[in-house]
Amino acid sequence: MNNMSPEVALHRISPELRPLLCNVVRNGRVGLDSTNCLRVTDLKTGCTSLTPGPCCDRFKLHIPYAGETLKWDIIFNARYPELPPDFIFGEDAEFLPEPSELPHLVHWDAGNPECLLQLVKELIQQYHHYQCQRLRESSRLLFEYDSLLEDPNYGHNMEIYAGRKNSWTGEFSARFLLKLPVDFSNIPVYLLKDTALDPGEDVALLSVSFEDAEATQVFPKLYLSPSIEHALGGSSALHIPAFPSGGCLIDYVPQVCQLLTNKVQYVIQGYHKRREYIAAFLSHFGMGVVEYDAEGFTKLTLLLMWKDFCFLVHVDLPLYFPRDQPTLTFQSVYHFTNSGQLYSQVQKSYPYSPRWDGNEMAKRAKAYFKSFIPQFQEGAFANGKL
Amino acid sequence: MAEPTVRVSGTVLASLMFQHLNSDSDVEGLVLGEGRIEEQVTISDSQADHIHIEETYNVQKHIACHRLNTLYSSTGDLNMEAVQKMLVDNKRESVIGWYRQRRNTEQQMTLREKLIHENLKNVLSNPHMIFLLLTPSKVTPSGSTHRMEYSAFISRSRRFVNVPILITNLGLLEQLAYWKVSTSCSAAGYSLTMKKHGSRFFSSDGLLKEVKEVNSMNESLQVELQKSCRDVEESERLVEALQAEVSSLRRRLKEKQQKEATEEPEPVRSSDQRNVRLQESVSSLSCCPLFCSQTLNLQGFPLPDVSTATQVNADSPPANRNRKRPREEPMGGDRKRRRS
Repeated sequence: MNNMSPEVALHRISPELRPLLCNVVRNGRVGLDSTNCLRVTDLKTGCTSLTPGPCCDRFKLHIPYAGETLKWDIIFNARYPELPPDFIFGEDAEFLPEPSELPHLVHWDAGNPECLLQLVKELIQQYHHYQCQRLRESSRLLFEYDSLLEDPNYGHNMEIYAGRKNSWTGEFSARFLLKLPVDFSNIPVYLLKDTALDPGEDVALLSVSFEDAEATQVFPKLYLSPSIEHALGGSSALHIPAFPSGGCLIDYVPQVCQLLTNKVQYVIQGYHKRREYIAAFLSHFGMGVVEYDAEGFTKLTLLLMWKDFCFLVHVDLPLYFPRDQPTLTFQSVYHFTNSGQLYSQVQKSYPYSPRWDGNEMAKRAKAYFKSFIPQFQEGAFANGKL
Repeated sequence: MAEPTVRVSGTVLASLMFQHLNSDSDVEGLVLGEGRIEEQVTISDSQADHIHIEETYNVQKHIACHRLNTLYSSTGDLNMEAVQKMLVDNKRESVIGWYRQRRNTEQQMTLREKLIHENLKNVLSNPHMIFLLLTPSKVTPSGSTHRMEYSAFISRSRRFVNVPILITNLGLLEQLAYWKVSTSCSAAGYSLTMKKHGSRFFSSDGLLKEVKEVNSMNESLQVELQKSCRDVEESERLVEALQAEVSSLRRRLKEKQQKEATEEPEPVRSSDQRNVRLQESVSSLSCCPLFCSQTLNLQGFPLPDVSTATQVNADSPPANRNRKRPREEPMGGDRKRRRS
């Protein structure tokens, strides 16, 4: 398989087919996992090798579905670009959708750049029905599907990949991919590492793999979009419970959903609390504020003076503030350590209560500064060098 | 269970490849030929009779579509008018399937091809349609090596089964058994020749005439053999009956002998009686003057002996009535004598 960037693919495709493919690679987000666009590989031509390019008219389309990647061949004809495409559905040789359920195939319009993408979406929908039909091989899994289908929170946002036999045991296996109905809209704006990339929709997907038809080996896994994962503190921050033995999805999924919702709420509250804290410090220390994190409200730096002794105080607010106490780093502006850094001392335990509001925290911090600074000054003179 | 195979002659395959080579696009068309289903029964001592069904599809000809997508719509619905137009000089019954050639694609049927195939089966009322798929591709990036893959597909309960294609050139090398039927040939010249000379060798039902004659002779031989068998059977039965009768008689004789042996001995008179009779007979002879005579007259006739005659009268029992009288020779009769 040769990976290629969308631009390369667009460059090699036959010019008449370019608008169709452009729409797919640029705007093609299908299914629950729409983090990335649809991918195109193995671009080839149906013309003879003597035909000058670009004349590619057939390729493989990679479609994320239920945790798998479907690889479908799409075949056009460069000599007759107005003709509708044809499809080979990879390993799913038995998948044969009803043509009447594919209106964009019935009324193919080569002049409409969105026609191909719409047709692919219709095919995926038919593919989903096909996979749901295959669940009938296991009454247990069919029950799981039917019970989820009845719940509108999950029934309409579900992808199922079924029928693939477990290569080790030969058992019938299936995977459910559910989009959790968690509201992420109030999470603070995420600062992307790479601003060129659009992280896409904020989504949480729960994947539950049944390795056998009797549901004795069930493996759940939670997938979060990058912004959400970062906002919640990374991939290790959230641990979902194991699937209970003898349990069923209709009980388990809401449990995970609630856990995630609580976590999101906590993060949102933490953000507001941090903002409140920073606001209070700005109010109390006024001109003493050197800088602060105006987006995430995670950092604050103060320049203070006590008896002609100037010092900096760096306040680092943790993600789970106010549950976790902010870290205070006192730094002398005169003294250096042997390694050439400014002399500093970190204080993690000082009078603090998560129940205080921002104003109270600022007042108490101010009082602590006054009490600690003589000690710090002595240390700076003793251990640092000018 | 039926095991289908598709046979394509080297000529037809080359023609297909040539057509695609000269086209800058995918090509498709109809395939003409003959489909045959044979039932083979394998008789074995070790297991029950095994019935094996062979489906053979001989591809003899192909008709190319001049333009893609003329026979069907985007959803695979057939355009019968276009199909009829393609089959102008050919019989609809000779259509055994269709083909498609597409470069650089997988050896699998596409969505539309499956739909077209099912519709073609229904429209032409032939559940045994085949689909030939040829997929040439470039093996090396430089284009120095190309590969042509080909296979056939047949639909079974809406599932498409891959069927092996055998290329028949001058003959099939793997054919070890006797040919059951001749290789089919659609050439016009061949058909004309067969029509002209066929009646000399073949009977009306298509069998060789000699075969029919040999069969008749075999039947006659069978009849004669059966007749002989019947005769043998009858004689055997007669022998058996006679043997049974002989055995029965022997058994009765034995029983009688045993019975006689166990009873009192019989008076000697019986045997003596028998001996007396013999004695009487001998005595009669010995007492006969002529018998005992040693004298012959001039004519050679024995003269009676007087002494013997008187002795007989004295002590012999009465003469036997059955005693034969000497034949009286007429004088000068048939008697032969030697004249000295």
